[in-house]
Amino acid sequence: MTETLSTPAAGELNAEGLLDAYRTMRTIRVFEERVHDEFATGEIPGFVHLYAGEEASATGVCSHLDARDSIASTHRGHGHCIAKGVDPVEMMAEIYGKRTGSCHGKGGSMHIADLSKGMLGANGIVGGGPPLICGTALAAKQQNNGGVGVAFFGDGASNQGTTLESLNLASVWNLPAIFVAENNGYAEATASTWSVAADNIADRAAGFGMPGVIVDGFDFFAVHEAAGEAISRAREGGGPTLIEVKFTRYFGHFEGDQQAYRADEVANARDKLDCLKRFRARVTESGQLESSALDTVDSEVAALIESAVTEAKAAPKPTGVDLETDVYVSY
Amino acid sequence: MLANADAKATVGVLANPASGRDIRRLVAQASVFPTAEKANMVQRICGALGTLGIARVLMSTDLGGISAAVLRATRNRRASQSPWPDLEFCELDRFTETAEDTVTQVRRMIDAGARVIICLGGDGTARAVASACGDVPLLPLSTGTNNAFPQLREATVAGLAAGLVAAGVIDPATATQQTSVLEVRAGDRVELALVDVCVSTATHIGSRALWDPAALTELYCTFAEPDGIGLSSVPGQLCPSPRTEPTGVVLRLCAPEVARHVVHAPIAPGLVLPVGVRSWRPLRPGEELPVSADHGVVAVDGEREIELRRGEPATVRLRADGPRCVDVTRVLGIAAREGWLRDSQQHQ
Repeated sequence: MTETLSTPAAGELNAEGLLDAYRTMRTIRVFEERVHDEFATGEIPGFVHLYAGEEASATGVCSHLDARDSIASTHRGHGHCIAKGVDPVEMMAEIYGKRTGSCHGKGGSMHIADLSKGMLGANGIVGGGPPLICGTALAAKQQNNGGVGVAFFGDGASNQGTTLESLNLASVWNLPAIFVAENNGYAEATASTWSVAADNIADRAAGFGMPGVIVDGFDFFAVHEAAGEAISRAREGGGPTLIEVKFTRYFGHFEGDQQAYRADEVANARDKLDCLKRFRARVTESGQLESSALDTVDSEVAALIESAVTEAKAAPKPTGVDLETDVYVSY
Repeated sequence: MLANADAKATVGVLANPASGRDIRRLVAQASVFPTAEKANMVQRICGALGTLGIARVLMSTDLGGISAAVLRATRNRRASQSPWPDLEFCELDRFTETAEDTVTQVRRMIDAGARVIICLGGDGTARAVASACGDVPLLPLSTGTNNAFPQLREATVAGLAAGLVAAGVIDPATATQQTSVLEVRAGDRVELALVDVCVSTATHIGSRALWDPAALTELYCTFAEPDGIGLSSVPGQLCPSPRTEPTGVVLRLCAPEVARHVVHAPIAPGLVLPVGVRSWRPLRPGEELPVSADHGVVAVDGEREIELRRGEPATVRLRADGPRCVDVTRVLGIAAREGWLRDSQQHQ
């Protein structure tokens, strides 16, 4: 049982909302740490790129979204999927390449999608998401349903023509599109300080005539607040926004990355900046939630992920017949 | 150029790469101040200081690209351009990308002999510099958002004024104005504000800025000018208090519907909103007041900084020992009277 000791101010989450946000961040963290461990056993096919450390971004943004809204993700897409409501059990099966997976085991980590949840897909193409979001944002605008499209992309994708063209198009057409640049400091192994000509990705917004803001990506409340303003603005016809979220990814670019290109920043981030630690400290110090409620979530999430792995390992693989399904789409 | 200038005069220049990037670009129409312009301002300052014959500039370093752009400029300068002072970059062992970088660099500049610190940023930057500059004169230039404290002024002119002070041709006591600060204490947490302290019902620091007047309950100001921007503009239109006076002002805020006074105040760029005021009175130097709220967030100079904890009372005290700020208008007025920037020639 949780209790709210003060009435939330405008735009702030109540106790239930805070618990939901914590559950989402915790689910992403435990999911990713478990995939990290399981990948090392050799059972998971293909590549995986883990989102641990970045949970506040996906959660802070997606906690404002509903069924009208769609998101496009990146190769590091597990966190976005979970935050948009994709079933972690199906996701785990997908990563294991099993028939019970989100895409029947034919997509794998980098192509998890669930259109029923408005999750257009993780995307192996760097900079592939922003053009998709221009499409869904245009559809929402034409349908006048108040929906928005959110494109998550990284510092590497911020240099891609597709991303820059999408920023331009979204501004020209005043689309309800939110561009979330998740700057974890490295495009694969290349530091963004070496490869991004603008000193802040958010600075590029001015050139496209849209607001650009920088947010502390370790702070759920900072992301949640900025995303809430941007999404409200977009829903009301105010047009697109570029939000640059700065943080550190806890694992390598991909599992197996030796990470010789970076020093001790991960240890510092995990110790002093971690979004889950900060969230827990703040909501308990403010009296918004009791520690016991968060502990309960921890236990439930641990059980969920354990179950997801067990089910994924036991699930059947796709057969040759499955190759002939989901090939064509009828309109 | 200055006959009686100190040949070893040194000026510190601190440029904050993070200023002018917060959520107020989204919730208001706050200005975007590009890194390239900050670097240009540093170059204009160096040009002015070089013309005066200032020996050395200590320049901050950053990961935002300002110091890199200035370094590139030193390599691309043409022979026909006026000479710059020797430019030394203040290295950090490790960037935290927080206000700590600013504080560390200012301390190192002063240890290395800087006699004036010019800082480029907003109120938040000036606050960080002020916490470290002690009695060394400060010249804050605006490149931030609210900019109630720093001056929106041409960098070349500011460079001339700073150079005259650093060169020792004008008495610092004459050239500067000591400002007040507000000291906020909540348990073991201490923050200083140069302009205002405001209590909000918001629960978390979040994206830091304040833009919803309905959430504000208490406001303390070191000064309040009628033409100010930011929260101090509320008393600025109700009960002005000049920054040259040591007295401040404290207000109790409430919803406009039940307020005794409603001020339509420019609380952020692009946001002129009704703010309800229940009461106000002068705040005397040295006076310490308890924060009435037992929960919420305390903002200093428009940025949420302290989340209040239950059972941990907070206080606000007005102190008269704020930074000594260079009065550019006064310095250049004296320069005009004394002819420091003139060459007198006999024409036949």
